[in-house]
Amino acid sequence: MSLIVLMGVVFITFVITRVVPSDPAAKWAGARATPQQVAAARIELGLDKPYPEQFANYVTNLVQGNLGYSLRTRNPVMNDLKVFIPATVELVLMATLLALVIGIPLGIYSAKHKNRIFDHVSRFFSIGAVSLPGFWIALALQLVFYSYLDFLPLGGRVSIETSLMGNIPNITGFLLFDSLITGNLVIFQDAFRHMILPMITIALYPIGLVARMTRSAMLEILGEDYITAERSYGLSERLILWVYALKNSLGPTSTVVTLSIGYTLMSTFLVESIFNWPGIGKYVSNSIIALDYPAIMGVTIFSALCYMALNLIADLIISLDPRVRL
Amino acid sequence: MLLGKKRIALLLAFVLVLSTVLGGCAGNSSQSSAKNDLLFMGSYTAPVIDWDPSICYSVESLVMNNFYETLLRYEPSTDSFTPILATDYTKSEDGLTWTFNLRHDVKFHDGTVMDAAAVKYSLDRNKDMNKGASFIWAPVNEIKVVDEDTIDITLKYPAALDLIAACGYSAFIMSPTLAEQGTDWFQLGNEAGTGPYKLESQVPGDQLIMTQNEEYWGGWDGKHFKKVVVKNVGENASRRQMVENGEADIVNSLQVEDLIALKDNPNVTVYTSSSYANTIGFFNTKVKPFDNKLVRQALAYAFPYDDVIKYVAQGYATRPTGVIPQGMWGALDKPLYEYDLEKAKALLTEAGYPDGGFDMLITYISGVEDRKKTAELYKSELEKLGVKVELRGMPWDQMWELAKSPNPEDRQDYLSIAWWPDVVTPASWFQSLYHSEKDVFFNLGYYSNPKLDTIIEEADKASGIDRAKATELYKEAGTIVADEAVSIFVTDGKSIYTINKSLKNFSENPAYPYILFFYDFYKE
Repeated sequence: MSLIVLMGVVFITFVITRVVPSDPAAKWAGARATPQQVAAARIELGLDKPYPEQFANYVTNLVQGNLGYSLRTRNPVMNDLKVFIPATVELVLMATLLALVIGIPLGIYSAKHKNRIFDHVSRFFSIGAVSLPGFWIALALQLVFYSYLDFLPLGGRVSIETSLMGNIPNITGFLLFDSLITGNLVIFQDAFRHMILPMITIALYPIGLVARMTRSAMLEILGEDYITAERSYGLSERLILWVYALKNSLGPTSTVVTLSIGYTLMSTFLVESIFNWPGIGKYVSNSIIALDYPAIMGVTIFSALCYMALNLIADLIISLDPRVRL
Repeated sequence: MLLGKKRIALLLAFVLVLSTVLGGCAGNSSQSSAKNDLLFMGSYTAPVIDWDPSICYSVESLVMNNFYETLLRYEPSTDSFTPILATDYTKSEDGLTWTFNLRHDVKFHDGTVMDAAAVKYSLDRNKDMNKGASFIWAPVNEIKVVDEDTIDITLKYPAALDLIAACGYSAFIMSPTLAEQGTDWFQLGNEAGTGPYKLESQVPGDQLIMTQNEEYWGGWDGKHFKKVVVKNVGENASRRQMVENGEADIVNSLQVEDLIALKDNPNVTVYTSSSYANTIGFFNTKVKPFDNKLVRQALAYAFPYDDVIKYVAQGYATRPTGVIPQGMWGALDKPLYEYDLEKAKALLTEAGYPDGGFDMLITYISGVEDRKKTAELYKSELEKLGVKVELRGMPWDQMWELAKSPNPEDRQDYLSIAWWPDVVTPASWFQSLYHSEKDVFFNLGYYSNPKLDTIIEEADKASGIDRAKATELYKEAGTIVADEAVSIFVTDGKSIYTINKSLKNFSENPAYPYILFFYDFYKE
C-alpha cells in the first residue's frame, strides 16, 4: 500500500513539475546562456526525450538512490538532502520534545482544574498557539529577543565566531548531539542558543495540540470507575494523575504528537527561511522559488516517506493499547 | 519529603543548565573580533551556486572575484584598465593581435606558478567549456604562449579584447594543476585562484568563510580584512536587524522602505553609487496594435517616468536616457520621450485609435515590489487613454516562457526586465536585446531591423580599434531603438548597500554589478 502511495506521489509530482511553464534546461545552462548552450543542456539533462521515457529514467534512478541534480545548487539532490536533513530533524525533534514537556503538564493541570482560571488560561494559550501563524511568531520573537533585548541570536545554526573556530563536529549532523559527545560545550551552548527561537516557534502548535489532547483524554479518564476506585483506596491525587490516569491518556496523545510531526516538518518551510536555519525547509523554499524541480521532487519524496513512517508509528502506538483491537 | 528533595535537586540542575546555556546570551550581537580581523556580509543570496570558474555566471560572482583574478580590471570613471595579472598589453594596428605581458611574481593558492601556460590553459578552458559566459570569447581565434610571461591572442575580428579580459565572469585565471581535476572537483567546494582571499570553509548554500592568501602578490601592508564571511540571510527584516545591531558590516538588497528608515541611523550608511544595471520594458512588436510605431510612441509618452523615480524607486534610481545606462560609453545624452498624455492622445488618434479601445497584457516579476508598483502606475496612465490593461505578476521562469511562446499572439503585450553587462560594452544590450533573433531568447520585443543589425555588428567590430567610432555607432543604434519606441527605459539602477559606519573605502565598481572587492575595504 505504502509503495503505491509513494509511486503516486512520484508520478503526480513529476507531472506537476512538467506542467509548470519553466525551462529547466535554460535554468541549468545559466541566466544568460546562449540558445546553443540551452540546447546542449537539454540533451545533457535528458529533457529532449519524450515524457514517458523521462519518467521511466527518473524512477530507475530513484530506485538506485539517484534523485538527479539540483538546478539551483548544481549538486546531486541526494547530497543536498544529506546535508540539510539533519538540521531540520534536530530542530523538529527538539520542538517535539519541548511540546511534550510543556504540553502534557499543561493538559494534566488543565484537566485537574477544569473550568477554573488555570484551565481557562491554559485553553486560551492552547488555542492561541495553534491559531497564530508561525511566521508572525518568528518575526515577533526576533524583534523582541534580538533587536530589543539583544539576548538571543537572530538566526543561523551557530554564530560566526563559532564558525571561525573551524572545529564544528559533524558525526551525525545533529549539532547538539555531536558537540555533546565530543565534549565541546562551547559549541553546544552556542548551538542551543541559536535553536531556542526557532524551536519555540515550531513547538507552539504541537504544544497547543498536546495540551488540548491530554486535557480531553484526562477528563475522560478521570471520570472512569477505576479512578474513583483508586481514590477510594486513598491513593494520592498526584499518583492518580501522573501515573494511573496519564498512562492511559498517553495513547491518543502520542498518536497526535506523531502525526503532528508531519505538520511540524511542513512548518519548517517558512520558519527556517525566517531564522536562516540551514535545513530542508529553507532548501525547499529556495527550490520552489527557483522552480528547481529535481530538488522539489526530492524533498516531496522525503516528506512522503516521513509521513508514511509516522503513520506507521502512529498505528503501532494505537495497536499497543490493549483496549484497541485493530 | 524525599520527593521534595528530588524536586529541589531537579530545579537546581535545571537552573544550572539554563544559566550555562544562556550564559553567553547578553551582548549577543557585539563583535568580539579586532577591527580588521573579520568582515561579515549578510547577503540576499546563497554565496556560491557554481564553483567552476569557467561556468559560474550567477550570484557567486561576488565571492569568485575575490578568489580569482582576471588579466585586467576596467575602471569606467577613467575608461582605463588597472593591471591585475597582466602588467600591460599592446594590440596590433588592425586590432587582431593582442599581446599581454604577465605579472611575474604570482602563485595560485595551491603554490603553482601563474605563467603564460597557465593563462592560456585558463582562457582556453573558459572558451571551450561552452558554458556560463563562455560566449564572451567568441571573437578569439587562437591563444599562443610567446614566453613564460607573455601571451598573444589573435582575434577573428577586432573586438575590444581588453574589456573581455576584464570581465567579471568567465575570464578568471586558474591553476591548471587543480582545474585538471574537473568540474566535479570544483563543485565539491574548491577554488584554484590567485586572488587575495582563499576559501577557508563553507556550508553549501548558507555560509562561506574566506581567509587571506598570505602569498598574495598585492601584499598585506596597509589595512585589509584578514577574514571575510558571506552568509545567506534571505529575509529582508533579518538583514536589516543584523546591520542595525552591528552584527553585519554589509547587507545588500534591503527594501526601499528600510533604506529610508535607516538613512538617519547614526550606526549605518546607506551606500549608493551609479550602476550599469538598468530596467527596460519591451512592447510586443509582433502583434496589433503594438506593431504600429505610432502606438508604441504614444505609449512611450504615457509612461510616468518621473513618478516611477520619485514614488517607486524613492530616489534610489535615476532617469535613463536610453538603452545604455548613463555614464557608460555609447549612452545617449537625453531621453527622447517625456510624460505627455496630450502627445500620447494625438499619436493614438493618428494611428487610428482615438479612444484607445484595445487590450494590453502587462506581465511583471511577482514578488519584486517596484515592478508591481511601476506596472500599476503605468496602468493608471494607460487607462486615461482608453487602453484596457491587465496586470499579471508571474515568476521569472513563467514570464519568460510566456514571452517565448511560439505564437506571438499568446505572448504578453509588454514586460520589463533588468539587464546588466557581462563585458562592459553596449554590445551586451544591443546584441542580446535588439539584434534580430531566429528563435526568441532575450529580444523580448521581437524587434527585427536589418539596418539596426548592421550597425550593431559594425559597432562591435569597431570597438577594439576605434572606440570613438564604436561609440557613435552605438549612439545611432540607441537612437533608432528609441525612435522606434521598441522599449520603455524605466530606470537606471543604483548600486545600494547598507554598511556599518566604521567600514571605510567601500565602493562598487559600476562595471562589476553585484561584485565587491573585499581586499579594498577596512574598518576604522
